[in-house]
Parts: sequence; structure tokens; C-alpha cells
Amino acid sequence: MKALGRYVSNVVDAVVTTAVGMRITARYLLQKPITVQYPDERLPVPDRFRGVHYLEQEKCINCLACARACPVACIEMDAVRHGKELEWVKFTIDYQKCMFCELCVYPCPKDCIHMGTEFAMVSEDRRDFVYDLLSYRGMARDAKVRMAEAEKAKQAKEAAKKAKAAAGDKAAAAAGAAKPEKPPKPPPAAGAGEEEA
Amino acid sequence: MIAYLAPLPAAAAIAASADGGMNAVAELLPRLLPGDPPVWAVFVLAALVSVAIAVAIVALVALFGTWLERKVSGHIQCRFGPMRVGWHGWLQPVADGVKLLLKEDLIPTGSDRVLFVIAPALVLGCLFAAMTAYPIAPGFFFADIELGIFFIVAMTSVTTIGVIMAGWSSNSKWSLYGAMREAAQVVAYEVPLGIALLVPLMVAGSFDLIEVSQRQEGLLGLDWFIFRNPFMLPAFVLFFTAILAETKRAPFDLPETESELVAGFMTEYSGLRWAFFFMEEYAAMFLYCIVGAVFFFGGFASPLTWAAAEVFGTGGIVHNLAAAGTLLLKGFAGVFLMMWVRWTLPRVRIDQVMTMGYKYLTPLSLLCVLGAGVWEVVVADLWRG
Repeated sequence: MKALGRYVSNVVDAVVTTAVGMRITARYLLQKPITVQYPDERLPVPDRFRGVHYLEQEKCINCLACARACPVACIEMDAVRHGKELEWVKFTIDYQKCMFCELCVYPCPKDCIHMGTEFAMVSEDRRDFVYDLLSYRGMARDAKVRMAEAEKAKQAKEAAKKAKAAAGDKAAAAAGAAKPEKPPKPPPAAGAGEEEA
Repeated sequence: MIAYLAPLPAAAAIAASADGGMNAVAELLPRLLPGDPPVWAVFVLAALVSVAIAVAIVALVALFGTWLERKVSGHIQCRFGPMRVGWHGWLQPVADGVKLLLKEDLIPTGSDRVLFVIAPALVLGCLFAAMTAYPIAPGFFFADIELGIFFIVAMTSVTTIGVIMAGWSSNSKWSLYGAMREAAQVVAYEVPLGIALLVPLMVAGSFDLIEVSQRQEGLLGLDWFIFRNPFMLPAFVLFFTAILAETKRAPFDLPETESELVAGFMTEYSGLRWAFFFMEEYAAMFLYCIVGAVFFFGGFASPLTWAAAEVFGTGGIVHNLAAAGTLLLKGFAGVFLMMWVRWTLPRVRIDQVMTMGYKYLTPLSLLCVLGAGVWEVVVADLWRG
């Protein structure tokens, strides 16, 4: 009798537990999937996520603070200085070395290097992982404009000075005093000679 | 069988020569062919056309089945399943098929080459044979077999021999274990499967699938056998459990337990031969679900079929199409149920499978037969006066 009771309760258990389980899976079946179609749509990335860096090149002053802070020395940067303006040669991060520690971000005096949200980096070639963070090479367009303006202003100043000097010379000549024909040549404008380089 | 066709000389000759087991294509063809073709040519052509249709059905069912399986499993796990190839991944099975076609066909050294090659063909061939009993529509079928359900159960049991051949000839311990389990499982579950089917068979009084479904016709489905007496629902549950085991579906997928036996009897197979086993599994699922639909859930009967028969006349093209669609829908509802069970329940141990088959399903199905018989003889008679 006891065995029969166990038998019947086994059958009932099997049916009931299967029904309960199938109810649960049915609920999941009708629920909206929680996954997203990855490359087309992405889950939101947290604000403080440490992904691929981005650089505000305009603000950067090539001080090398980030490169020095990097524990694995994966940042390489180089720029030529023309007075106040920078002519960029290189700013690369080797993501084979980078460990996304964010230590490069804190020492930046201009707050110009940041961690981005991109995390999926795929390539068939190791060289592709040396990312170039420069958005332009050489000088920025407005930097060039600024430099040209500064040059023009300087030249105008020179010309004015020259004209004044010439007027003075004439007056001096009129006074009959023998003087050197030209004033001493001013030093070349900063960067003017190197601009072609 | 096709009442809406006017009799033609060849059709009449074929109907006369084909004694009992008739083929709908053989009856249709003389009408479509020009002139009066010889009877043997009609037969050969009808056979070829029927085989082509059967192959197409098996292939399409397998394609759609794999897609449905991946979608159902995905959504049960809160995923999407395939989404990339075509709209919601509907071309994914085609892509898989192309991949399987292009794969290298490996035959392991040390295997019994002849058996290894024959096994998948035998498995799929037996399923094609069983497919001949699939009633596509009341007026369109491959063969009007009077012992239809008997034939289906017999032919699908023969596929087990192919599985055992595959397991033995692979010369791999995993394959052999898988095959042994398949043999044990099928032997254990054929019995409750047959006995559970006896319950509707007793009521129907026929082995012919078309005839059985014609006895359940009606608008609302109150004549379906599942509502006929209180022992039908348990009988259906037993039948369904048994076909899960017969078609090697989880929780009874012991022959191919990927966590213990890699892929069971299919371990050493690759490419198209492997695809044959896969097609067999899905087509067998579909066929058994059709059997379940016919014997428990009214077969062709549905409001749609009823309306088509009322409006366009019984046996017309519209009626046949509605009936075919109804049965297809019911079949795939069953397939969906099997998938739902698969992604719900964990796999049982082999001793639990045996216990369930021998100690629970067999005696319970016998009880159902007894109860249904008593009900039909005593209670139903009293009720009807």
C-alpha cells in the first residue's frame, strides 16, 4: 500500500513539476529578449567606462605628462613647437600594451586626454592596434591662420618701423650727418624659417 | 478517392488495378498528361513525383524544424536566436545546409565502411517509407494504407537499426554507447507508444489515418477523440512522452547526450551523412506529431476545414487545402510542444529512462486502455441510452 502511494505520488510529481517548469519557460518565451543585436545596437556603456582614448588635440601642449605616467609606456608623442603653435608629428597609443588603467588621464594639465567608450578592437594585424590619436597632422588650420596673422602684424610693424626709421634717416641726412644706411636686421620671426620644414 | 475528378479511362484502369492502396498522384496524373498514356508510365511517373514530394516534405520540415528549434530555444533563454541571415534568420537553415554540403565527408579508419555508409541512408530511407502514410489532405496522399499507423510505427522502429549500425560501425566507444542506449530506449518505449495509441484506435475502429480523422469532423472540435472520454488525455500524455523517447528528444536524448557521449551515435559522422540523421530526427518528430494530431486532436477537423467544406463542398480543392493546412498547423504545434519540453526539462539518467518506460508508462498505458474500454462499453452506452 505504501509502495502504491509512492508510485502514485511519483506520477503526480512528474506531471506537476513538468507543468510548473513549462509554465516558467513559457513566461520566458513570451518575454522580450534581454539581449541586444550587438553590432547594430549596443548596451549603454557606464559613464566612467575606460575604453579607447580620445585626444583633444587642440588643447594638448605636448608636455609628455601622460606618456611619463603610463606604467607600460604605450604612449608615444612628438610635436615641433613654433612659438605658441604646435606642429604635430605623432601621438600613438599601442593597445597591445595598454591596460586601460586611466593613469594617463589624471596628470594631464590641460585635461585633454580622455577614456572613451569603444571596447571592441578586432584586427588580423598587430600593427593595427597602434592607434593614432591625432585628428590632424602638422598644424591646425586656425593655428596656421593665427601664425599668418601674427606674421603679417609683425611685418606691418616692421614696415612701420622701417618707414619711421627711413623718415628719421632722411631727416638725419638733411641734417648732413653720415650714418649707417640700414638699421640692424631684426631676428627672424619665430617659426618663420621653420614653417617650411 | 478524388471525388471531384471526372473519371478518365487511365484513371479508371489505375483505380481498378490498384487494389486498396491507391496513390493520389497516380489518379491525378492521367488528367494532367496529354493523350491517353499507358498505365505503367503513369505508375512510374506517379512514383517519381510522389518520391519528389516526400523528399521535399522531409527536407522542408527539417529546415523549418531547425529554424524553429533555434528560435524557440533562443526565446526561452531570453535571446533572439538566429537574426542575421534573412528576416529573423529564416535563411539560416539554408546556410547551414550549404555548409554541411561543402563539408568534408569523413570516414574514420578502423570503421566498418560499408555499414558506416549505409546507416544514414537506412535511417532516412525508413523515414521516407514511413512518410508514405502521411495523409497530406483527405484527397491527396502518397498511399492510402489501411494499416497506416501500424506502418508508420513499424517503419520508424526500423530506423533504430540504422542507428545501431551507425554506432557499431563507427568504431568509437561514444557511438557504441549511444547506439546501445537508443536500442534500449526504443525497446522500452515502443510498448507504451503502441498501447497508448490503442486508446484512440479502439474508439476510431480504423488504422487508416484519413479515415480516423474523418470520424472526428465537426465545427468546434467537440468530436475530437481527446474529448471523447476521460482516459484520452492521460493516453495522449503517455503517447507524447513515448514519442519524445522514440525521436530521441530531450529529456530522453540519451543516445546523443552531448555532455557525456559527444554526439552519441553521430559522433563520427560529418557533412551530409550527419545531416541525414538530423533530417530524420526532425521529420520523425513531425510525423509522430501528425499521428498525435490525427488520433487525438481531430486530424483535418477544424473550423476552417468545416467552413471550406460547407462553402466550397466536401472534397473540393479548397477543402483539401484547408484540411492540409490544418493538419500541418497541428503537426507543427506538436513539434513546438516537443521543443518547449526540450528546453524546459533536464536530461534524465539512463536508469531513470528505463524505470519510466517499464515501470510507469507501460502499466499506466495499459490502465488507460482498460479504463477507456470500460468507459466506452459501460458509461458511454448508459449516457447515450
